[in-house]
Amino acid sequence: MAGLVGLAIIAAIVPLNVAFLVLLERKVAGHIQLRPGPMEVAPHGILQTLADAVKLLGKEMVTPLSTDKIVFFLAPIIVVAPAFVGFVPIPFSPMMQIRDVNVGILLIFSFSSITVMSILMAGWGSNNKYALIGAVRSVAQNVAYEIPLLLATMSVIIMTNTFKLGAIAQAQSSVWYIFLQPVAAIIFFIATTAETNRAPFDLVEAESELVSGFHTEYTGMRFSLFFLAEYTNMVIAAALFTVLFLGGSSGPFFPGMIWFLIKTYFLIFVVMWIRWTYPRIRFDQLMNFAWKVLIPIALLNLLITAIVLKVI
Amino acid sequence: MQYVKEILVGGKSLIIGLWITLKRLFKPIVTVQYPRQKLTMTPNFRGHIEFIRFDDTKTHHCVACGLCARTCPSHVIKVQGEKTRAGDLKYGRQYYIDFSKCSLCGLCVDVCPECTLQFSKEYEYVFYHRWDTVLDIMGRLEGKR
Ligand code: SF4
Ligand code: SF4
Repeated sequence: MAGLVGLAIIAAIVPLNVAFLVLLERKVAGHIQLRPGPMEVAPHGILQTLADAVKLLGKEMVTPLSTDKIVFFLAPIIVVAPAFVGFVPIPFSPMMQIRDVNVGILLIFSFSSITVMSILMAGWGSNNKYALIGAVRSVAQNVAYEIPLLLATMSVIIMTNTFKLGAIAQAQSSVWYIFLQPVAAIIFFIATTAETNRAPFDLVEAESELVSGFHTEYTGMRFSLFFLAEYTNMVIAAALFTVLFLGGSSGPFFPGMIWFLIKTYFLIFVVMWIRWTYPRIRFDQLMNFAWKVLIPIALLNLLITAIVLKVI
Repeated sequence: MQYVKEILVGGKSLIIGLWITLKRLFKPIVTVQYPRQKLTMTPNFRGHIEFIRFDDTKTHHCVACGLCARTCPSHVIKVQGEKTRAGDLKYGRQYYIDFSKCSLCGLCVDVCPECTLQFSKEYEYVFYHRWDTVLDIMGRLEGKR
């Protein structure tokens, strides 16, 4: 029962949160480029995303003639599932957790792989060369970056001996793991940025070469579902970083929930900040970076962690 | 060694980049919020042509010589003069330009013997129809008074 209530809350919070994040992104982008961002709808454009959402809801859902109908139809539905499931094991505070799943981290990682599948389905089903190239890139990128991501997470796991997110957060009550595992934290951050297809790793939808990548053919509500999933995945990635490296909900004065949200939204801000700072990298650079830099370093880091833990 | 150095140098340049954008995030905005704020056009700005109103006659000095219409490389100008009485001086009565064809070359402004033409500072033009671009220059001068 509590699980159902939690899911209902998530279903209500996720779209609102995405609306807020899209506005935040546009504001950050604007001010970095010395312009004000959306200003027209309501003071300082705070209702802009709502207006956009209404517009998207009102748009016709075009299905091009030569698409693979079933796959094309299913892809945007499947893409939101992991975005919702990802919230289940996240401990917003010791009290605020829908379910402390024994293998919480693995649950999130395994569901996040479904996102890749739905992107591939969207690209394949669209029957469009740009969409297909975007989807194929997405698969290559996600396979490459999942390895350093898991290796960096493993360095934390072998320190705590548990997959439970709540327990990992509590294990950091004395010192945050970002100080004990700085390398793993950086690798984790880079890899999650790549996993969520955010700039500078957004080759999946590189608009200067691929029109809009895998969602080129999607319109109206289906398009917004992809959008919803992208931003929600960003929240989950930031929340995971908070749990693994920033001590979850621990912090002075305020209740845990507030601290958790502060840390998460700060990380999201950093991701946006990065997006508007760096140019998109080339695909071979992307692959080289994963296989030649991130994976060896992550492996080395894991090895050193294991040795140090054994010696102590 | 080269490998480690590359990572460190690259990482440093990434942080410098982040620092630059962070500083810009808190700088005041520089764009002009157009419908609410407007820039004044520079003296050299070229809108469509218009008549200068002179203080002595309180109107233009056009004598409908037709030089501007003949010089215009794009056949933009139509000018019609009028004499009220025999023996009187002719003066410009109707003056139309088709702004969609004007190349803003300025030949008409230069050639006018009465020096009564100039470029306007008008830039907010929206037309719904091709024929809307035909502007009544004389009427604009009257309207301004
Ligand atoms: S500016 Fe040039 S093109 Fe335009 S009306 Fe004058 S002479 Fe013609
Ligand atoms: S050249 Fe000058 S005076 Fe002659 S018709 Fe044109 S505007 Fe009038």
